[in-house]
Amino acid sequence: MAHPQLRTETASDTGLIAAWQAGDEQAAAELVGRHARALARYLSGAGAPDAEVDDLVQETFIRAFRGVARFRGQCQFRTWLLTIGGNVLKDYGRRAGRRKVLPLDESVHDVTGDPHEHAVATEVEARLTAGLQVLPRLQREVFLLRAQQGLDYEEIAAALRTTPGAARVHYHHAVRRLKEMIG
Amino acid sequence: MNDDTKLEHFAKRLGAAAAERLDVDATARNVVAALRRQPARRRTWIAVHWMRVAAAVVVLLGGGLLVRQTVTVPVDSEHPDHLVADDLGDLTTEQLKDVLERFDEIVGSSTALPDSSDLRELDAQQLRDVLRSLEG
Repeated sequence: MAHPQLRTETASDTGLIAAWQAGDEQAAAELVGRHARALARYLSGAGAPDAEVDDLVQETFIRAFRGVARFRGQCQFRTWLLTIGGNVLKDYGRRAGRRKVLPLDESVHDVTGDPHEHAVATEVEARLTAGLQVLPRLQREVFLLRAQQGLDYEEIAAALRTTPGAARVHYHHAVRRLKEMIG
Repeated sequence: MNDDTKLEHFAKRLGAAAAERLDVDATARNVVAALRRQPARRRTWIAVHWMRVAAAVVVLLGGGLLVRQTVTVPVDSEHPDHLVADDLGDLTTEQLKDVLERFDEIVGSSTALPDSSDLRELDAQQLRDVLRSLEG
């Protein structure tokens, strides 16, 4: 198979989606190139096992492209993609029959610097990861979309089919509970 | 660093390793290949939804017809339409005669018809007068 040649950054996501719908496979490859890392971060943060992240990213993109007719610009393509990723992860959890809390990948941690700070960071991140797993799904997704992906409440609300006010409430509930868990 | 800032700081770091480790080009190739292997699913999805729309239309039309047949009061065909005409002046002489004849059949011959009550001998104005007297 030919190596997908990425285009320039000038094409909008919407334009690439239209191109994909018209049969342009390279448009799909370009969209994957743009959003795959953000999706991987999101899935990992939401509890995807490290060994499964690649497959879950692929599954999310495949599901998104097959259902792209349902995307009508209600939010950014990436935001919509992340919500599909949440569904894919949920389905994975059902298949796996468990919601696994995973140890953070070692490469997350900055191994240089003060060993004490490193140990503290590791512990905090582990607690945060564990805390996210026990949050209700909506709180977890709102928290990640807001704190990890940097989205505003309007964007989050559009993606999750709720209101900005409700998204804000979910976020604050999540923050309160996570702070209690992190200590 | 306060608690909120610390939380956001660590939230931003979550998944960073997984993102770095991801082979984006390979992912793109695999996704495109998977989509190529099963391209018909898009068309299938569209076809399924069109079928659903068509089925919904059939159900709505069928239901509508059923409801209409169930609740519609049958119109008594013996009553000429002229009886509901608001303005008798709109009716022709023949129509007025028809109305009176039908009306006479319904209410009997106790109406205030002229003495020599052969309707065919009345002109349009007389027929209107008769009808108006019947309307009260």
